[in-house]
Amino acid sequence: MDVSNILASHAAKYQSVTVQKETPLEVDAGFLTVTDLNPIDEESYNENLEEHLQSLARDGVQTLFSSLFTLYARPSPDGPLAQLPLPTTQLPRAKPLPKPKPPTKWEAFAAAKGIQHKVRDKKVWDEEKQEWINRWGREGKNRQVEEQWITEVPLNADADYDPRKVARDARKERIAKNEKKHTQNVSRANTAANPRDARKKDIEKTLATTRISTASMGKFDKKLEGEKKIRGVKRKFDPAESSVANEAQASLALLSRIDSDARKTRREPQPEESVLNTRKAVRFASKGRGGLALGREAAGGRSSRGGSRGRGGGKGRR
Amino acid sequence: MLRTIKPKNARSKRALDARLPKEVEDQRTAIFVKGTHTGETLNAVMRDLMALKRPNAISFSKKNTIHPFDASTTSVSSLEFWAAKNDASLFLIGQTSKKRPNSLTFVRMFDGRVLDMIEVGVESWAGMDSFKTRKSTPGHKPLMHFASELFDTHPRYIQLKSMLMDFFNGEVVDSICLPGLEHVISITCAPTPASLINAPVNMYPNQQRSAPEDLSSLPKVHIRTYTTRLLNSGTRIPRVELTPMGPNLDLTLRRHQAADPELLKQAMKRPKLKKTDIEKGLGKKRKNLEVDEMGDLRGRVHVGKQDLGRLQTRKMKGLKGEDLDAEEDGDMDVDGKADEDDTPQDGGRRKRRKE
Repeated sequence: MDVSNILASHAAKYQSVTVQKETPLEVDAGFLTVTDLNPIDEESYNENLEEHLQSLARDGVQTLFSSLFTLYARPSPDGPLAQLPLPTTQLPRAKPLPKPKPPTKWEAFAAAKGIQHKVRDKKVWDEEKQEWINRWGREGKNRQVEEQWITEVPLNADADYDPRKVARDARKERIAKNEKKHTQNVSRANTAANPRDARKKDIEKTLATTRISTASMGKFDKKLEGEKKIRGVKRKFDPAESSVANEAQASLALLSRIDSDARKTRREPQPEESVLNTRKAVRFASKGRGGLALGREAAGGRSSRGGSRGRGGGKGRR
Repeated sequence: MLRTIKPKNARSKRALDARLPKEVEDQRTAIFVKGTHTGETLNAVMRDLMALKRPNAISFSKKNTIHPFDASTTSVSSLEFWAAKNDASLFLIGQTSKKRPNSLTFVRMFDGRVLDMIEVGVESWAGMDSFKTRKSTPGHKPLMHFASELFDTHPRYIQLKSMLMDFFNGEVVDSICLPGLEHVISITCAPTPASLINAPVNMYPNQQRSAPEDLSSLPKVHIRTYTTRLLNSGTRIPRVELTPMGPNLDLTLRRHQAADPELLKQAMKRPKLKKTDIEKGLGKKRKNLEVDEMGDLRGRVHVGKQDLGRLQTRKMKGLKGEDLDAEEDGDMDVDGKADEDDTPQDGGRRKRRKE
């Protein structure tokens, strides 16, 4: 079958989209830029400048469009959105790279403990109103106790007990605490930002260590001119007599520290103190398939896994 | 220097935060400054270039005594002040004089300091109004087309290309709407003269600033702008036709100041790619994936690494003995079971290991 007629009519209907050049054009799709590194043809340049420039530009743009239209495109209401690759041309930045923010004390702690950051919703559900209200801010949940028209008072409250004032004070205290932590974080970030000071402190510490690291602990060492005596930490003692309130407070603080959860968990022994680690033993005996599989195997008679059991026994003997 | 402002409310804090350095930067804002004298031509050229650059363009309507190449003036500090005040990092300065008629100076800033400058002279010009054709929509990203081998070889033209790309198109975007590609800015050089083809390229233009270059040998630069028409080609890729849009500029290169290497090194620093971006395939070539001519994504399935050690080659007696020994050793270390019916010598070794 001869299809040359069809091909010819197709070619006449549609113009070609391919561009042939001596040096292939360089396309930087990320910056929508095409560079034609072929030398400019002097003859056609002198003959008709505008036409020459336009044909050059058309060829370049055709190549650029070819590469842009083959990129993966997402559909969107305004037309296909082509996903551009990163640009290959390096252009200078307008501003330096942003410096990483120094972590706050909490962030450093969370990172050390592996605590994930949880985003707290701005809105909370109010059971009484049956709608979502702000956690803080305008008509916020945190001011609800202060603003409601009637508030419960504890039975043993003083005559001048003001529940609104108590709630308000508690809220203000939380704000003040947060502000204090914020300023502490800022000042910590400022001091940590100076590596020179940190290095200086480090050197001084090393020097002090070396000075007392001789047989006489530095007592009979040769002293350099202008070298100062090492000053240790001066101990401070509380006054022997203090007010009863202070003493009671200190004792209570000590008691609460002794009784704290952190202490308890460390002090109390683990409930299961057996020589055999059953969990590990089950895992080993069942070859990691769990106790259920082991039970099934035992009930269903000898399986073909005699060899493995033999090996397990061998390990146990060691 | 501008005094540092402490934001008093959330709105001004947001405005100040928007000016802070970002990892992926926005488009550069350009300030169009008129020098002491700007002729009719320059005014029109700057107006048209501003139409192309809009909305990231700020126009200074008054005249300013500014001579950025003259080190004895305070021009550079003025530029730095304006850049900080307007949060802009590009300048286009127009100035006409008897010695240098119709000169335009492109100034690029980094971190509030002048990075590099290029001065060009406008030889001939045709404005947007002189073409009664369709114009591009303001704010649409232009396509850029550079034609000449000089853009890859000659430092002056490399700098010009970098500057013009930054001026019109220097923004990293992750996606673009294909029907929104409306106009092209095409920059073409005149044919390269023989003196430039054979001349050794001066790779360190900074060091020879005292010796004036022969500016007449540098070919002209033609800037043309076109709008695109997409025709049906019967394939996925459309056939492109161009229509002149204006402005058309013919430029000659004049003075320039290359970037300070130290400052340039800082300006070229790239952010480290985030892990999620790398997983998405940004910043590195996506292996085993390609888009074919039909626009389909094609993947190549991994078929495992070929173990050439197992390849059966010619059997030779000399090689055989070594190989067997090595195999035995490996078996014993990996799997104890295999040793059970082995020689007593091996069993003895095992016992020793147990103790």
